[in-house]
Amino acid sequence: MKYKKGWIAVIVLAVLSPLGLLAIGEAWGEWDNETLKHLVGFVPEGMNRIKDMSPIAFLKDYSIPGFEGSFAKTSIGTIISALIGAGLTALIMYFIAAGRKQNERS
Amino acid sequence: MHIPDGYLSPQVSAGLYVVSAPFWLAAVRKVRKSLPQNHVPLLAMLSAFSFLIMMFNMPLPGGTTGHAIGGVLIAILVGPWAAVIALTLTLAVQAFFFGDGGILALGANSFNLAIVMPLMGYFLFRLIAGNAAPSSRRFSIAAAVGAYIGINTAAAAVAFELGIQPILHHLPDGTPLYCPFHLSVTIPAMMIPHLTIVGAAEAIITGAVIKFLGTNHPELFPSEIAAETTVKPAEEKKGGER
Repeated sequence: MKYKKGWIAVIVLAVLSPLGLLAIGEAWGEWDNETLKHLVGFVPEGMNRIKDMSPIAFLKDYSIPGFEGSFAKTSIGTIISALIGAGLTALIMYFIAAGRKQNERS
Repeated sequence: MHIPDGYLSPQVSAGLYVVSAPFWLAAVRKVRKSLPQNHVPLLAMLSAFSFLIMMFNMPLPGGTTGHAIGGVLIAILVGPWAAVIALTLTLAVQAFFFGDGGILALGANSFNLAIVMPLMGYFLFRLIAGNAAPSSRRFSIAAAVGAYIGINTAAAAVAFELGIQPILHHLPDGTPLYCPFHLSVTIPAMMIPHLTIVGAAEAIITGAVIKFLGTNHPELFPSEIAAETTVKPAEEKKGGER
């Protein structure tokens, strides 16, 4: 396989991804409405109207339903999310770029 | 830095789709025309890489978190326009399947992280690297500086987009309709962590990976090798076959 070492690095990163769970808190300005209400005392009207637009976010917050509770369980959910996300991204990118080759030939 | 839906008004969200569109078109056109065959699997791998690197949240002062992006690293390895596509796709996967970053806000998030960051960072990298060899110190330092400035320019764009919301959209009594934070809050909140911890992480990761690849896999940098007169043609060929 081409770039074998690179793919090994990708898998290592996916397995290590639960390290990102150790950071307590959320990214600034990415709070959900409840947290925002806690922070500023109210939820702006527009934010109540527009939220959670994706109908297919089946791995919300990089966790898998049922894999909550202990750190070990959450970690497994995160690793699976990481592998699915990385795999999906690579696959779609590959097909976009590979489609380019066909365009070139025709 | 993934702006969720609701923080930006529909007008600003739509506006940033419009601003991003010509960059996407240019990127698709350039990549179709000039992406080398052997860069297709590399591009796929780097997209996966950027998806993963964004999962490594770092604790920041003030109780928030942040993460590196890898945008400039990708731009150096496959070119800035291929990086635009790879990063846009990564953001789209994160928004659609993981609820990270909004769908309406995808135009804005792409503009900040998939357009401003790789283009700005790559431009600066090229400026500093000159004709330096991929294994040289100057090459990796140029990569690190490009990454640092790239991620901070993106952070500034996010701060600006969020901070103008209460100015643009509010009720008659001044109550904000969308992001409630003014520029006086968003700029320090975004810039202090990115100028320090996140920017440093982005710079170190980018510089270190480029140093490693430049030393051990110089064949990944074909244009730089061609620019170098000292490389023997035989060596070049060996690299190209990989």
